[in-house]
Amino acid sequence: MGNNQDSSIIDLRNLHKCYWVGTMPFPALHGLNLEIAAGEFAVVAGRSGSGKSTLLNIVGALESADSGSVEVLGQDILGMNSDQRTQFRLRNIGFVFQAYNLVRVFTARENVAYVCQLQGKSRKESMEIANHWLHEVEIGHLGYRRPDQLSGGQQQRVAVARALASNPKLILADEPTANLDSTTGRRLIRLMHELNHRFGTTFLISSHDPDVKQAAGRLIKLADGQIVDSWDEVPEPPQSLSSSCPSSHLPLGERVRNYIKLKRQSRGGKRRGGNQRRS
Amino acid sequence: MDSPRGLSPITYLHLAARNLVRNRRRTLITLLTMIFGIATLTLLSALNDGWLNQMKTNFILSYTGHLQIHAAGFEASQNLNDRIKEPEEVSRLMQSYGEIVGWTQRIRTSGLASVGGSSAGVQVMATDPEQETWVTSMDQRVTSGTWLRPGISHDLILGHTVAQNLGAELGDRIILMVQRLNGEMVSDVFFLRGILETGAPQIDRSLALISLNSAQQWLQMGDSVTDIVIRADIHEHTDALYRLFTQQLSEHKYEIMPWQELDPMVRQWLEFSDAYGFVILLVVIILVIIEILNTMLISLHERQKELGVIVAIGTTRIRIFLMLLLEAVMLIFIGAILGYLGGSLLVYSLADSGINLTRFANAFEFFYMDPVIHPQLTPDSAVKILSATLIAALLAGIYPAWRATHLSLSQALRIQ
Repeated sequence: MGNNQDSSIIDLRNLHKCYWVGTMPFPALHGLNLEIAAGEFAVVAGRSGSGKSTLLNIVGALESADSGSVEVLGQDILGMNSDQRTQFRLRNIGFVFQAYNLVRVFTARENVAYVCQLQGKSRKESMEIANHWLHEVEIGHLGYRRPDQLSGGQQQRVAVARALASNPKLILADEPTANLDSTTGRRLIRLMHELNHRFGTTFLISSHDPDVKQAAGRLIKLADGQIVDSWDEVPEPPQSLSSSCPSSHLPLGERVRNYIKLKRQSRGGKRRGGNQRRS
Repeated sequence: MDSPRGLSPITYLHLAARNLVRNRRRTLITLLTMIFGIATLTLLSALNDGWLNQMKTNFILSYTGHLQIHAAGFEASQNLNDRIKEPEEVSRLMQSYGEIVGWTQRIRTSGLASVGGSSAGVQVMATDPEQETWVTSMDQRVTSGTWLRPGISHDLILGHTVAQNLGAELGDRIILMVQRLNGEMVSDVFFLRGILETGAPQIDRSLALISLNSAQQWLQMGDSVTDIVIRADIHEHTDALYRLFTQQLSEHKYEIMPWQELDPMVRQWLEFSDAYGFVILLVVIILVIIEILNTMLISLHERQKELGVIVAIGTTRIRIFLMLLLEAVMLIFIGAILGYLGGSLLVYSLADSGINLTRFANAFEFFYMDPVIHPQLTPDSAVKILSATLIAALLAGIYPAWRATHLSLSQALRIQ
C-alpha cells in the first residue's frame, strides 16, 4: 500500500441513489457510508446490481446522488455544476472502464496524450508524458497502434496509462478485468498494485473477480446498495420505498406522464360510475 | 479553443477528419449526394444567370440602352411638347464619364404608315444612323435591305411584323403621317430601305425608323429631341450612371430612367427569375441539411459511448459541441467545394456550345431570350451557393452537437 494513508480522500455519508424505470423505482444505494484514505488500494465487491458501478460513478462525479454527502479530496461533488465536475475529474481522477473505452480514431499514444492536452499541456509535452506512461505499463513499443490493432489486455493497459497520465490522486476502475482472460487480468492487477505502491495513487476498483479481491488492500463488500461486514450478512431492506426513492426524485417527464395517466384513470372511473347509476 | 497549449484547432481538425474517415462508406455516400446536389445547383444557377444576362443584353441592345433621359413627364405623356429643348446641355455631360460607350438622340412619336390600300399604326422613331450603332444592335438586326444611310433624308426601316401587315416590300414608297408640335397633321413619303427583326414582338409590330435630321425638319422641332439614349460599358454601371445624371440634371426638367423602368414586364421577369433561383437554392440546401443531419445523428448514435468517455475523462461540453460542429462543417465544406468544382466543370464544358432549346424558340423570343442558353458562372452566385452551404452546415451541425452535449454520462458509459 502507499504512504499517505493518514488523510481521507473519499468521504461518503448516508448516500442514497435510486433509478427509475418509468414510474417504478429501483434503489441502487441505500444510506451508504464509506471513507477511503489516501493511497489505499480498495476493491468494492458485490453481485451484479449491488450498486458497485453506481458508487464509482458518484465518486467519479459522473452521476449525482439523490441525497447524502459526497466529499472527494475534500470537495463537495454534489454541489458542483456540470463544468465544475468535468474540471474536477480532469484534475483529480483517472478512469479505467470495463470495456477499455479508448477513442477509436486515436493511436494508443494519442489516447494517453489527449488528457494531458485537455489539461493545457502542449502537444509535444503531452506526447512525451504519453510515451513515459506507455513504457510504465510495458507497451511503449505499441504507441503508434490504433485500439483495434491491440489485444484486450493491451487496450486495458493503454486505459491505465491514460488514467495515470493526468497525474490523478484517485483512480476509479470499474470491472477492469471483466473483459480479460485470467492471466491478462492478473497481470493488469499486479501492474495497478505496483503503481499504487510506487506512486501512492489511491485506487478504488469495483470487481467480482476473485483475483482482484485477493489483491485488495481493503475489501468493501456491497450488497443491495449497502456495505456489509460479511457475505452472510443480510442487509436491512429500506423501511419503505418512499424513504429510499422519494417520488420527488422521479424524473420530470415521468412525473408529467404519471399525472396524465392518473387524470385519465380518474375520468374513466367517473364515466363508468355515471353509467352504473343510469343502469 | 486552447492554443498554442492544450487542444489546438489542428487537433480538432485532425479529430474531425479521422471521425469522418472512420466510416468511409457512409461519408462517401453523403459526400457524393452533396456533390451531386451542389453541382446541380451550380449548373442551374449558371443557366439562370446565363439566360438572365442574355435577356438583359438583348433587351438593352435591341432598343432601350442602359439609360434614357427624357424631358420631365415624356414617358407618361408621349407628347412631343414634353421634349428636350437643349440636348446640348445633356450631351456635354457624356464626355465626362468613361463608363459611357455610346449615346444617341431620338425622337419618338405615334403615327400612321400607309402603302397601297393598307395602313397601320406605328411608333415613329427617328435616330442618328451613326450614333445609334454605338448604342444598340438594331443595325445588325436588319434582316433584309440596309440600315439607315447617314445624310439621306427619306430612308425608312420598318419592323418585320408591321412590314408584313402592310404588305410592304423593299423599295416601296410608304406614307408616314404624324402630328406636329402645333397639332397639325403632316405626311411625307419615305422609301423602305430595310426590314428589322429585333425578336421583341412589341417592337417588330410597330417600329418605323427614320433619320433624326429629316424628322427634326419635318416635325419643325429644331434641335430638340424626345430621348437621349445611353449605353454603359457593362450592365453593372447602370446604377452608378443613373446616380450621376440624377445629381447633375434638374429633376424638374428631366426624367432619367434606367432600363429596368422602361419595361416593367422585363423587370418582373428578372425578379421572378431571381425568386426562382432562390427557391432552387433553398430546396437543394434543405436536402443538404437533411442529408447531413441524418449522417451526423447516426454517427452520434454510434459514438455515444465514446463521447461519454471523453466527457468522463475531462472534455468540457463546449469542446464536444465544437468537435461535432466542426465535423459537420468539414463534411459540408468538402462537399460544397467539390460540388462547386464539378458544377463549374459542367458549366465550362457547356459555356461555348450552350444548351440548345430551339424547340421553344418562339416562347423565348418574347422574353428577349436566345434559343441557345450559355450558362455563366458569376461571383455573386458562387458567394450565394458557398455561403448558403456554410449556413446549412452550421444548421445541420448545431442540433447533433447540442444533443451530444446533453448525453447522460452514466447511460452513455453503460452502452455495451
